Amino acid sequence: MPSEETKERIVKVVEIGRTVLHYGWIPLIIYVGFTRSNPQPSLIKLISPLA
Amino acid sequence: MASTPPLPVKDALDPSGQGTLLDPYPSSSWRHSYFAPISPFFNAYDRFALWRADLGLPHPGTVESLQKETKSTHLSNFIFDGARADLTKSLSMSPLFQVTHSFALGSQTAPPSYNFGAIFGSTKVFLQGGVDHDGNVSGRFNYGWTASTVTKLQAQLSSQVGHNMIQLEHDYQGQDFSINAKTMNPSPTDATGIYVGSYLQSITKNIALGIESIYQRPTPESSEFSSAYLAKITGTDKNWIATAQTQGLGILQATYWHKLSEKVEAAADLQVIALPQRREAIATIGAKYDLRLATFRAQLDSTGKVSALLEQRFTPTFAFLIAGEIDHFKNAAKVGVGVMIESSTLTPEEMGMPPQP
Repeated sequence: MPSEETKERIVKVVEIGRTVLHYGWIPLIIYVGFTRSNPQPSLIKLISPLA
Repeated sequence: MASTPPLPVKDALDPSGQGTLLDPYPSSSWRHSYFAPISPFFNAYDRFALWRADLGLPHPGTVESLQKETKSTHLSNFIFDGARADLTKSLSMSPLFQVTHSFALGSQTAPPSYNFGAIFGSTKVFLQGGVDHDGNVSGRFNYGWTASTVTKLQAQLSSQVGHNMIQLEHDYQGQDFSINAKTMNPSPTDATGIYVGSYLQSITKNIALGIESIYQRPTPESSEFSSAYLAKITGTDKNWIATAQTQGLGILQATYWHKLSEKVEAAADLQVIALPQRREAIATIGAKYDLRLATFRAQLDSTGKVSALLEQRFTPTFAFLIAGEIDHFKNAAKVGVGVMIESSTLTPEEMGMPPQP
């Protein structure tokens, strides 16, 4: 069994990872999609529902 | 289970394809040099693998999609009430990249909502994400190591405490079996969480049997183990499928799906709960019509609900949905209307369509 200190550290790392995923997941997909798309779309077409 | 060894062995050995009369064990030098002491085991394994391949059993599908056909025929997963609009924009076809804006309002059960979704898919990677107006994020990540081995990650992230969910999953599709292992909210510090393992194996050309074991450990002090048994019978020409599934003691779910013609599918579902504190059964029958520009689903269940959903496509990019449900026993009704608009920034040539003459 890991010690209390290690446990606390793991919980902290998990919490940080969760927060990063929470705020970074959608931007990551948009970034990956935007850069890998063929042909590359313009940014306004990506964000606006009407354009 | 060990992964299957490279199978072309059989063809290399027996190019005439006359069966297994020849010695199925090739004189491969690496085995003789390094593994000579244990070669009988390899030999036995090779014979077993060959014998198994000769049975020609079909792939049984996955445990997760056991009732897929019934679920896609019934409209329980598709019905909505109030008004909704989905605006989908395809920005690239290969790799797939599309964004969706969904609006919903006027529902009796859910507050008005806005949801933004993005999908990216290439041959190996699939990424999906959604965020609603409250900032709740849902995400999915699939990575295909090979065509038959896929690792999946699913997450629901919320700023509220206790609404987070993360699920890790690994899928392996064998020639005549499928294995899946998954864990929900695993904690690295005290090993709490839910762990599920499932295995589905074809027994004959039509019958597949499976087991799903669930190990729940909500707190470090308590844990619970339960198993579900699955069976699936597929018609020889694959136009009907019957499945049965037990969940713990006293819950049974059986489905039957039949493809009546190219455009019509019918499905029935029976769920029986026979627990000491609760005894009930729900039967549902439904049909789905796939017309050229429309899909119509109708369904009737034993709780007195009659429902229907029409999805009419006026042009390839514009679809109109209308859904209705009447609960005769409770005297309640639900109506939903929706539009789905798909647009694309691509020209028809870029989407892979043949050029217009």
